[in-house]
Amino acid sequence: MSVAMPNVNETWTGKILEVTLGAGPDKGGTRGKTVTVGGETTLPFLHFEGEIPNKPVVAVEVRDRAPDDWSELLVKAWGDSLKDPAAWAAKAEGLGAEIIALSLDSAHPERGNTGAKEARETVRQVLKATSLPLIIYGPGQPDKDNEVLVAAAEEAAGERVALGNCEEKNYRTVVAAALANNQVVIAKTPIDVNLAKQLNVLIGDMRLDRDRILIDPTTGALGYGLEYTYSVMERVRLAALTGDSALQQPLIVTAGYEAWRAKEARTNDGVPTQWGDWAKRAVLWEANTAVTLLETGADILVLRHPETIPLVKRAIAGLMTRAGA
Amino acid sequence: MSRYIAKAAIRGANLIVGEAEQMVEAAVAELGASTPVAFTNTAYHLPVILGFTGMEVDNLGELREAVAYAKRLLNAMPGESLWLPYLGETLDAGAATLLATEAIEAVRFARGLQPEPIPGLHLTGTSFTSPDNNGGGADGGHANGPIDDIQLRAWGIQLVDGRMPGFAAIIGAARSNEAAVSIVRELQKRNILVFLSGNVNGRSIIHQLMEEGVEMGYDTYIVPFGTDTISAIYALGFATRSALTFGGMSGGQTRDILLYNKYRVFAFALALGEVDDLKYAAAAGAINYGFPVIADTLIPQILPSGITSYEHVISMPFDDIPGDNDTERARRLVQRCMEVRGVKIKITDVPIPVPYGSAFEGERIRKADMRVEFGGSKAQAFEYLRSVGLDEIEDGKIEVVGPGFDDVPEGGAMSLGIVVEVAGRKMQEDFEPVLERQTHYWVNGASGIQHIGQRDITWIRLSKAAVDKGFQIKNLGDILYARLHADFGAILDKVAVTIYTDPDKFQEWLAKAREAYQARNVRLADMVDESIEEFYSCTLCQSFAPNHVCVISPERLGLCGAYNWLDCKASNQINPTGPNQPIPKGICLDPVFGVWQGSNEFAYQNTHQTVERVTLYSIMQDPMTACGCFECIAVVIPEANGVMVVSREDPSMTPAGMTFSTLAGVAGGGLQTPGMMGVGKYYLLSRKFISADGGFKRIVWMSSVLKGMMADELKGVCEREGDPDLLDKIADERSATTVEELLPFLEEHQHPALAMDPIF
Repeated sequence: MSVAMPNVNETWTGKILEVTLGAGPDKGGTRGKTVTVGGETTLPFLHFEGEIPNKPVVAVEVRDRAPDDWSELLVKAWGDSLKDPAAWAAKAEGLGAEIIALSLDSAHPERGNTGAKEARETVRQVLKATSLPLIIYGPGQPDKDNEVLVAAAEEAAGERVALGNCEEKNYRTVVAAALANNQVVIAKTPIDVNLAKQLNVLIGDMRLDRDRILIDPTTGALGYGLEYTYSVMERVRLAALTGDSALQQPLIVTAGYEAWRAKEARTNDGVPTQWGDWAKRAVLWEANTAVTLLETGADILVLRHPETIPLVKRAIAGLMTRAGA
Repeated sequence: MSRYIAKAAIRGANLIVGEAEQMVEAAVAELGASTPVAFTNTAYHLPVILGFTGMEVDNLGELREAVAYAKRLLNAMPGESLWLPYLGETLDAGAATLLATEAIEAVRFARGLQPEPIPGLHLTGTSFTSPDNNGGGADGGHANGPIDDIQLRAWGIQLVDGRMPGFAAIIGAARSNEAAVSIVRELQKRNILVFLSGNVNGRSIIHQLMEEGVEMGYDTYIVPFGTDTISAIYALGFATRSALTFGGMSGGQTRDILLYNKYRVFAFALALGEVDDLKYAAAAGAINYGFPVIADTLIPQILPSGITSYEHVISMPFDDIPGDNDTERARRLVQRCMEVRGVKIKITDVPIPVPYGSAFEGERIRKADMRVEFGGSKAQAFEYLRSVGLDEIEDGKIEVVGPGFDDVPEGGAMSLGIVVEVAGRKMQEDFEPVLERQTHYWVNGASGIQHIGQRDITWIRLSKAAVDKGFQIKNLGDILYARLHADFGAILDKVAVTIYTDPDKFQEWLAKAREAYQARNVRLADMVDESIEEFYSCTLCQSFAPNHVCVISPERLGLCGAYNWLDCKASNQINPTGPNQPIPKGICLDPVFGVWQGSNEFAYQNTHQTVERVTLYSIMQDPMTACGCFECIAVVIPEANGVMVVSREDPSMTPAGMTFSTLAGVAGGGLQTPGMMGVGKYYLLSRKFISADGGFKRIVWMSSVLKGMMADELKGVCEREGDPDLLDKIADERSATTVEELLPFLEEHQHPALAMDPIF
């Protein structure tokens, strides 16, 4: 007896925009590799229902100064390269990174207070050291962000880098820098669909092309609000697929930053022995955070630990394989 | 459009286009058509010509075509008997003027005559456009000429992100050197970029500033283009390139480029001294960009808005500006320029001697710590905000009329009235109470200051500590001035505060304030759902209640109590992409239940297809959803044929068998639950309070805290309902906490709900 299975596929009207990072010599840049994300016409990895033309990618965080608050495990894993952003970026590329997420952390008033000149120099060095596209983050302090991101955007003119973070308080300057130098911006809002939408609308009002925006919806780590951020991302994606054009950008998540803030990953001090091997636990914490976010629509995952990179990439490869293929 | 201006502009345009044609022809004959023409260090060719025509002019031959284009834009002068509006012709003449002047500068560049030599003028900052040019003066001094692309980007970013509000193109020479310096300083204070050009009888503002030792150049944000009117074209070249660089446009997208400038670049032209035909023609060119022109001489004005956001041409004869000296007159002139272009003032800090921030809002000042109080039981205080015309107040004027509190003994009281006057093109009388109510939060933000109440029951205490640090009555005005600009800058242009402690003046203004409060009450009472075209949404809470939308009407405020219809309207003006959006009512589907096509559609879309239909006046049928922030919960008590209303502040058990917190779990979360609804407490007073289900008379039980808090208002409602003793017939937690207790109470007091139609 044959049972007729009803077709439960959704027909979505919306489509995620394709955003390209990096530009090769043909487009005025110097990148050996470029990355395109987005383009989905269905929820994550539902290959039977729609198109998923581009696989999610892994970005690796590189800082312009050796971080003094990073877990011992990370410091050990990266070794001396931590002291030189160019070497760090090259090493990350060798370990499988698909994007370098350069953080101009030294510009922070309490962590060096470097300025535009140093930012340019760092960007120049890192561009030289890697063939990958760049994401460039400011130190997260609005005035300094404006100072160094504008300089970085100019220095990287033609390279189609992503500038972050573009937040409600400083989006105008970052967007202006992107407009003037043909870059992409990362629009970051605190875990709220409507705020994400509003920021995208405001950025759009400044006439930045819609396909030059990435959404960072703000995420949590495993055990630290991950489920809440998961459902916010899910709602962003559902809104996009049902046709809300203000939310149809690819999603970027800072899984590494979040996971390594969690006690479970960061430290082994005073934790129960049942928690098991620290090194293994920490990497799995990051990988689990990342893979969970992958399942709810993350297109770019910014990671920290070298060993997390292959784990997450393996998960992506598996999820991108169509059943029966 | 003024015929006088139109004629002058068209005359000027004809003249200058003719001159450009001659110059270009002469240059072609002399140098050859293939001689390159270019402004230095720009990738935008001749930017104004590129923007208007899409032509990429790189040599004299191509320049000839651009001038021919300009010529085609010229019109005949309006004849004496022609009374048509000649706006179009004038704007075309303006555009032709711009193309012609740029062509002239291009020829001058080709001949090595630009930037203009000005002996003694040495610019600060790197001037990429001004390498040692052949024509430099004896000492190599020269004007800047066009702004290079690198500087354009640096300033452009600041223009786009709002740090730099705009630019002023000053043309001519000021009344005096003192006036010249003051005008420029006033503009600098506001972060406005200053471009200088033109002259009056050979004397330019550039000369005036040189004589006064004012440094010019990129570093000081003062850029001297040249001493003739023609060099003012560089200002519009800058504007055009801004649109091309930051607006993502390309040459020839004329309309887009002009609109970009109108809405995003807050620039204006300031004509100092006599305005000749060429200046009129150039002004007409600037108006194409939406840049208004302000003249300090007597010229005809063009007041209606249209191409520019507000007035097109304003005349403000310098000598007639009130003021003791040219510095003061200059300040007023610049202030007027700001208004005409709609440039907003940004204030980031509250300039008072005590710390300021929302962290201090909850502070209480005890009697023992108090230096002085205004209002309370021993004195009286009021606050009153009103809107006035833009020319009726001076922005930033803060005045105390009457004595300070020095003579008041420690811990004593005095009467004080705060009168805030605001003016703004987007200000509406309806917003007065919305703004006035913020006084409470703003004043409370100061450390050591406590504010209670509103209107004429205001009560302010200053602590000893705050007074020791130097806090004075005037500082109250400083707070209000700063916060009004910071929070409501989108609708306000000017704010002035007067604080009255003089007893006679106090009484006089108290009477005026009370009159206004009364008028507002009446106005509010008149404002009904039927009298307006739009409701407002509030989606502020979707961060945690994703499928909830508040539909806010004049007669039903938001369930949190924080947003009424006017608040939403003001909020939308301030933040047009924010959580309060207008909802056009559309067709009324059911006047009794309060169902409109517009509110249904909005709810459906913004609850993500969860809520299809919503009523504004019923708890039984498609009631409005709730996020969780409600002040009260209304719940149907079937046995009593009525509803009970529980306040958030009431912890006791209710006849529904649940406390507020248990009920809240059921009522919130964006679900439609017939028979249960979260509401703002003032909705209880509305004529539309569950009017489809019988209205206020359905209330059989109400938390006593509500009865106390709104005693007078509720009494009024009972009278309106024709049952003055109704409130006594409504049970509360003191008389009934179960249905078994409730029913006998209602019987005993003959509550009207018992005799009403069944609620189901």
